[in-house]
Amino acid sequence: MPTTRMRRPLRRALFLVSVAALALLTFATASAQSGQPKGITDEARDMHTLYVFTLVMAVVVFVLVEAALVYAIVKFRKKNDVLPAQTHGSTIIEMIWTGIPVLIVISLFTYSFIVLRNVENDPNPAAVVIDVTGFQYQWEFAYHLDAKGANLDPDSPPTITQIGTAADEPILRIPVDEPIEFRLKSNDVIHSFYVRDFLYKLDVIPGRDNRFTVTAREEGTYIGQCAELCGLNHALMRFQIEVMSREKFNEWVASESAAASPAARVP
Amino acid sequence: MATITLPKAKGYERPLILDWITTVDHKKLGILYLYVSLFFFAVGGILALLVRTQLAVADNTFLSNQAYNQIFTMHASAMLFLFIIPIWAGFGNYVVPLQIGAPDMAFPRINALSFWLFPPAGIVMFSGFLVSGGSASAGWTAYSPLARTLGTGMDLWIIAVAMLGVSSTIGAANFLVTMFRMRAPGMTMFRMPIFCWTVLVTSVLQLLATPVLASALVMLFIDRNFGGNFFDPNGGGNAVLWQNVFWFYSHPAVYIMILPGMGIISEILPVFSRKPLFGYKAFVFATMGIGGLGFSVWAHHMFTTGAVLKPWFGFMTFMIGVPTGVKIFNWLGTLWRGSITFETPMLFALGFLSMFLIGGINGTFSAAVPVDFALHDTYFVVAHIHYVLFGGSVFAVFAGLYYWFPKIWGRRLNEKLGQFHFALMFIGFNLAFFPMHLLGLDGMPRRIATYNDYNNWELLNFISTLGAMLIGVGMIPFIVNVVQAFMRPKDQPNDPWGANTLEWWTTSPPPVHNFDDTPEIHSERPLFDLRQGSPGGH
Amino acid sequence: MAAHGAVAEQHKGELSNGMLGFILFIASEVMFFGGLFSAYFIARADSAQWPPEDVLEQMKLAGTAAQSVKLELEFVLPLIATFILVSSSVTMQWAVMQIQKGSRTGLIWGLFISLVLGLTFLTMQMYDYTQLPFSSGDTVWATSFYTLTGFHGAHVAGGAIFMLVCLVRAMNGQFSAAHHEAVEACSFYWHFVDVVWIALFTTLYVVG
Ligand code: HEA
Ligand code: HEA
Ligand code: CUA
Ligand SMILES: [Cu+2]
Repeated sequence: MPTTRMRRPLRRALFLVSVAALALLTFATASAQSGQPKGITDEARDMHTLYVFTLVMAVVVFVLVEAALVYAIVKFRKKNDVLPAQTHGSTIIEMIWTGIPVLIVISLFTYSFIVLRNVENDPNPAAVVIDVTGFQYQWEFAYHLDAKGANLDPDSPPTITQIGTAADEPILRIPVDEPIEFRLKSNDVIHSFYVRDFLYKLDVIPGRDNRFTVTAREEGTYIGQCAELCGLNHALMRFQIEVMSREKFNEWVASESAAASPAARVP
Repeated sequence: MATITLPKAKGYERPLILDWITTVDHKKLGILYLYVSLFFFAVGGILALLVRTQLAVADNTFLSNQAYNQIFTMHASAMLFLFIIPIWAGFGNYVVPLQIGAPDMAFPRINALSFWLFPPAGIVMFSGFLVSGGSASAGWTAYSPLARTLGTGMDLWIIAVAMLGVSSTIGAANFLVTMFRMRAPGMTMFRMPIFCWTVLVTSVLQLLATPVLASALVMLFIDRNFGGNFFDPNGGGNAVLWQNVFWFYSHPAVYIMILPGMGIISEILPVFSRKPLFGYKAFVFATMGIGGLGFSVWAHHMFTTGAVLKPWFGFMTFMIGVPTGVKIFNWLGTLWRGSITFETPMLFALGFLSMFLIGGINGTFSAAVPVDFALHDTYFVVAHIHYVLFGGSVFAVFAGLYYWFPKIWGRRLNEKLGQFHFALMFIGFNLAFFPMHLLGLDGMPRRIATYNDYNNWELLNFISTLGAMLIGVGMIPFIVNVVQAFMRPKDQPNDPWGANTLEWWTTSPPPVHNFDDTPEIHSERPLFDLRQGSPGGH
Repeated sequence: MAAHGAVAEQHKGELSNGMLGFILFIASEVMFFGGLFSAYFIARADSAQWPPEDVLEQMKLAGTAAQSVKLELEFVLPLIATFILVSSSVTMQWAVMQIQKGSRTGLIWGLFISLVLGLTFLTMQMYDYTQLPFSSGDTVWATSFYTLTGFHGAHVAGGAIFMLVCLVRAMNGQFSAAHHEAVEACSFYWHFVDVVWIALFTTLYVVG
């Protein structure tokens, strides 16, 4: 019988498969804590919770299926030449295993729908409005802050403008705990405005007015990068985003305004 | 058993090469498809190794940005358009007529045309590396307006993909007519082997989706060469239009890339578990369900454009998990209480089962729209791509190669080398692609030629590169195995595995006209019925 | 030889393999035009005006469109062309009915008239192209106009070649009441091309 001859390499292969499966499992569980950063905005925290929920579902499904697989492989190996029972199917079982995924999927969808609504429900008005222009291959940030707060007019011309270069990654500065609106513009190709710790990105599309508002809750410096292939130096469209206190933000605004040419500030 | 070498007519030696070039025999065309697409697998794989070398460490300068963009674009284009899609045409060509007991495809000459569009398309696509500006470099998705602005390589890419589109559209019509019209007596649609069913649904997808891709390519070509404004907002066009039309094709296309693989798995699991496929009909309906749903989810690639109806597409995308789940469970049901042996085809089939599962599940993350906001265009998606396409499709390709090798070439591949091949590939694959989940979650965008070392992405990338190299090394036992097999004489019996479908009824390899006769068919397992001496069915 | 038997067997009145394959091919053509049409409708839904005069004004300012460009279509000529194409579908069907009855002369005349009508349509379309006050780059409206009508025209030309082949074969006496599949395939194709034109005419000229 070839089966006896095959036993040893076979067992080894099986062993490998199960070890790899176990390793993956550990990986996946570990990533529940460390896989995705928690996010620094109200919106991101919502989305992170959804992510964790999805991950839990995923790990449960994965573990159950993979366990059944390994069990079947180990338990139902050929032992003799007796032909096993020729079952062709079972309507009841098949209905159950169609039904359960439907339930899982509906719960996942419902939850994701709720989160989506929260994320896209923008508070109005924003405290600071920033025009973000993506171009091949960097960013321009223009701040509308002439009224600095309550009766802000976002449609007035911006007062501070920064243009980044690949060698000099721009720093986008925003105050903490205040809703900030980003308006995305492009005149060449599609880019994508991605801040990792927002857990969010929105494409910057020529001819399209895309905007979103977030409220950051944690001060610090975070990374951002263009996330849509936009040509040669797509990889270099990096920037940083600094979330700071309102006082520090105002100081920065003041110093930027002072640095701007006096000609631009004719009363 | 029929003899394999036919006596040659005296005085006239037709050169072998001419024989292959002019053939309209589905088996030879199938073999040609297999050879050429495996060649492009090697090419695409080597490009992938270049990509991995560049990404092994932070701030690497092994490849320029320009070279990198071209290389990953051509990697994916080769793997998808020149490897996975055509290799299913190869298996389909060889196996479908045999499985339904037909002497050939319905239109042998059109079949030859389908094939002969394929190698030239590959040449056209790769000739981009020779023109100024280099090959296409906008990713395999060729997003516009970017693709409007690139060099001549982009036009070559468009022409090549259009040629392949024509090839698969007429090929699909051919498969459909063959399966509708040329089944052996007694073989009703619901007695067709499951592989045929998956090719059937795939063909429907190809027939209906590929022309839409052709229309997108036409528009892009007009924009590029005749001053068109389809994708240019300055001329009133729409920058997102390309994505809509492209994904209308390309989402169904991902099922074109997996369904025949699922068919192969569904042939192999029953044979090596010695049980029928659990829930044959449910499996057929699930396949149709995937195909149908596949047309209603395309915009899940576009959630971050802000230009699509997110809840609808999110919901439909989730729903695809249901019929796919049915398949996974049916496969488990097939194994359950079986009498399982682990020949190499079975190892790869089980590898498929465990790895495609991961790919499917991590696709579900992106179906949750707010989660996709973070994951889109990061390495998490790259992990998804490879778990479904490598862990799924490629494992199925090798399962199919090991399984039908005795039928196609009359020799059996060595088991030891096969196990070795499987083990290396399995480990290498997980090393290469599992870390990409973590990279993506940590915010590493895809399609970047280089990354900064302040990101702490280096270690995981390095592991991934090692894994990729291991996959490459894993191909060595396979190549050795094939070469050794070809040095042995053809010695395989008709049915070396104790399999159940009609291709195992005829000789290995089959004669030119395939069958001298076909047995009576009472179920989807005619040979099983014959061995048991009883008509089966359910 | 059961396998061969099954293949050789061909039921009367049932579609032949070739015909089935041809119909599947036409289905794929429908999807191709579907793609082009959907591009048109998306562009249209997106625009503030249709035709997008506002965009044209900007293009003129930017110098990417000539000052003489106007986004206007001639209506009468295409209307006549439409009647011609529709009649050619009728004459084509008449030709098929003739050969079904076994009349080769009828077939030849039917094919000949349809071909002439088809070529007339093409000529009119080409003349129309030379008269239009805009070119393919003058806004997405113009691009989609030329793309849609151009690809339709190419299909008419393809259909005309198919017809010509049928006509030559008919004159060589290759068709009979029992055997005239190519003619039927040709008529299917011609009707398909006709239907696409009606959709096009309605979209581009009537709705505007
Ligand atoms: C073979 C190819 C293949 C296959 C089969 C799939 C299958 C699926 N894909 Fe994937 N996909 C790709 C190839 C493929 N994909 C490629 C190439 C891309 C990237 C394109 C690019 O941008 O370059 C992509 C991208 C992609 C995206 C876009 C991501 C982004 O860019 O942001 C999304 C989003 O929803 C997605 C979803 C899915 C889903 C839900 C499935 C489902 O079909 C999976 C269903 C399977 C399961 C869910 C597992 C089994 C089920 C069970 C065990 C039942 C229980 C499970 C549940 C209840 C969840 N895919
Ligand atoms: C079937 C599809 C398929 C397959 C099989 C693969 C296989 C591999 N892929 Fe790829 N990949 C894609 C489809 C596929 N990929 C797609 C669609 C994209 C998206 C592109 C885009 O963004 O546009 C992508 C993108 C992609 C990226 C991301 C690039 C980026 O975003 O910047 C990376 C990075 O590591 C990668 C790596 C690999 C590796 C290491 C393999 C390995 O598994 C390859 C292993 C194979 C071999 C090694 C070849 C075998 C060799 C021989 C038979 C001959 C022997 C020769 C030698 C070893 C020298 N792929
Ligand atoms: Cu801008 Cu990528
Ligand atoms: Cu998809």
